[in-house]
Amino acid sequence: MNNTKRAKELEEIILKHSSPAGRILSILEEIQEREGYLSKESLKYISKRLNIPLADLYSLVTFYSFFNLERGGKHTITVCMGTACYVKGAPKIIEELERRLGIKEGETTSDGIFTIKSARCFGACSMAPVVRINERIYGYVFPESLPSLLKLYGWKEK
Amino acid sequence: MVKIKINDQNLYAREGENILKLALKEGIDIPHLCYHEIFEEPYGACRLCIVEVIKDDERFITTSCTLQAQNGLEILTQSPEVVKHRKILLELYLAQAPNAENIKKLAEKYGIEKSRFPKRAFVTDHLNGKCILCGLCIRVCGEVMKAGVINYIGRGPSTKINTPFFEENPDCLGCLACVNICPTEAVSAEEVENRKILKSWSETKVKMKECKNCGSLFTTYPLWEKTKSLLMEMDTELEELCPNCKRELLIKKLTKNLPLPKPY
Repeated sequence: MNNTKRAKELEEIILKHSSPAGRILSILEEIQEREGYLSKESLKYISKRLNIPLADLYSLVTFYSFFNLERGGKHTITVCMGTACYVKGAPKIIEELERRLGIKEGETTSDGIFTIKSARCFGACSMAPVVRINERIYGYVFPESLPSLLKLYGWKEK
Repeated sequence: MVKIKINDQNLYAREGENILKLALKEGIDIPHLCYHEIFEEPYGACRLCIVEVIKDDERFITTSCTLQAQNGLEILTQSPEVVKHRKILLELYLAQAPNAENIKKLAEKYGIEKSRFPKRAFVTDHLNGKCILCGLCIRVCGEVMKAGVINYIGRGPSTKINTPFFEENPDCLGCLACVNICPTEAVSAEEVENRKILKSWSETKVKMKECKNCGSLFTTYPLWEKTKSLLMEMDTELEELCPNCKRELLIKKLTKNLPLPKPY
């Protein structure tokens, strides 16, 4: 993204959230929604524009697992590691995903298609264990059901 | 004024007065790490200043830095209950900051030789295995110096304090307030040639300011700029001088127009 275009887009987001208190999270959330992640350039811009030290923004962004500092793959697979899902075998799901996609948690496949992440409770414990792919939540996911699930997102078994 | 009792000592205090501050003033030793009187709002983070409070029929443990004086308060600083909790805290601190001298000394004083908890930090980390994450450096940098160079990064057991993106931070004033306020001497900085290097903060480098007259490096450039903007208009001739040269020039200027002593 070139700088004028970035400035225009970020100004638009800032204007939308004009209440001074607590708006920073909403601003960061919307930037991530539009750009897919929070780039260093965007954070620096927001820091200058809203007069918040970059160190404070970086602290906030690294506190919430929701925020990404790196561009993820086309599809983000988030495995719930909340208590219920954990007990129901979430670690095994991560293990199997890592094996199938050949990457570790937090990494993106070399073709830029999949990113594996983990998170705490999605609030869907009744369907544990759950996996979120992009915005969609899948319940009762087990290692054996992963291939068919991944195929929905264009994955091919080698 | 209200009447309170600390151990066997009867004391008068202002209502709402900070108990830790009062105790220290009275020479009563309560160990503490994260308390510093430049901050009006105590933080209650390190927990070492815990005391046992007896009020009416209640007994409870709380941090003395967040405790306010009220009439009839009775405080025990070394009761068996307090000592028990403090010992556990020290054991945890030995694991968190195994290299911090004052923690080691304090632990020894409480009869702790070894921590049962696995070490969390190492001598080789950027805070020399001494950081307890109390956040005093962050607060002094942000709240007092208004620089905001560092902050907590991440959370839970992987929390660290450093500059954003672990990169040199051009906002650093090189004032070393973080180095001076750190209760465990974890933050390190050094002066190399004409620069201050904040070793703990991603090797952030800050240029020093040279005295126009004698050439000595008397402060950092951004600190000089900042103070200059805070001060009232000053004689521009004095502006770029180190304190010594400033004094000499000022004396010269002030005495120039004085009448010479009259000969007898």
